[in-house]
Amino acid sequence: MNGTLRRALGLTAGVVIVGAAVVLFKPTSDVGYIEIKTVPVAPLTQTALYIDSAKLAPIKQGNAILQERVGTLRLQADGLAGALAPLCDIVVKRNRITTVTISVLERPPRCQCRFSGSNAARACVS
Amino acid sequence: MKTLLSALVQGNRARFVVAALFAVAFTFSAAGARAEDASTTNAGNPISPVEEFSQQLEAFQKSVPDLNTSIQNSASTIDSVTDAEKARAEIDKLRATVSGLLGAVSDNGPVSQLGVKALDHIRGKLKALAAETRYKQEERLFLIDQWRKLETETQNANKELDDARVQFGGLLQTLQQNEDFISELLEIRQAEKALEVIRHLTADIRDASSQLNKLIGGIKPPGA
Repeated sequence: MNGTLRRALGLTAGVVIVGAAVVLFKPTSDVGYIEIKTVPVAPLTQTALYIDSAKLAPIKQGNAILQERVGTLRLQADGLAGALAPLCDIVVKRNRITTVTISVLERPPRCQCRFSGSNAARACVS
Repeated sequence: MKTLLSALVQGNRARFVVAALFAVAFTFSAAGARAEDASTTNAGNPISPVEEFSQQLEAFQKSVPDLNTSIQNSASTIDSVTDAEKARAEIDKLRATVSGLLGAVSDNGPVSQLGVKALDHIRGKLKALAAETRYKQEERLFLIDQWRKLETETQNANKELDDARVQFGGLLQTLQQNEDFISELLEIRQAEKALEVIRHLTADIRDASSQLNKLIGGIKPPGA
């Protein structure tokens, strides 16, 4: 293999690797956290919960910390006739953690914000 | 550093750059990649979810001494500053560091997801072995015993990760609550009181740092 071809291959490999690294290692500047606590505490929460439309894995031992994009997200649960019932909005801020407690015994489950936003909407803030 | 520079200058530049890029990409993908379905390869051989989890866990453990150094350095800086605004900026930096680590161990983070996958893989193996007819009874029992040991180790590692997640979450909350209180104090121009709060926070952070060090040091990757 001649030197030019080797250099070209090396350069291509470099470009591919850097591209992959950029895609795989997303900057963390636009993420924050949601801590979901469920009461009563159970080994696995049976109530299906959703953040926007994404279904969450069952919550273990009444506590989960999720990394989410910055913004206002809607916490929802299964409602009647297959529709999702909104529980509350959660404001996610960069590198901050917003805690919400969900009372799963109630129908529909109820959100209790650790800190509430100043607006009239039911929104949990960090 | 001198050796690196001379290597760059004296030819083989392309190979050096490609090798460096590869190392950087490998490190980044190990730290930040989402869990993929046992697809990572090493010299073309697929690695099992258990090995992948073990590798990610080791990479995570290695990143924690950086956190401790960062906490110690920030705490020292905060101790020495007399300007509450500057100290608050240090707290903000620290929050970003803790946030990065919490991202790795959060329930939907790469390390935790791999832990779940590793356990699923082990349980699948145990189920398959229970119905396996290719091996002699004692061979089958030996394999089942080995997978059960691995299951216990993986469960323990996952439990330690759960604890680490709670600790990192608690630390992040402590930092943001204090920062909010300090902001309020600065708004009413209570800089001296803010500095006092910052100094108390520094002591809390140092304490959390040593606790985290012990906790993370106790995590045993499965099969290690």
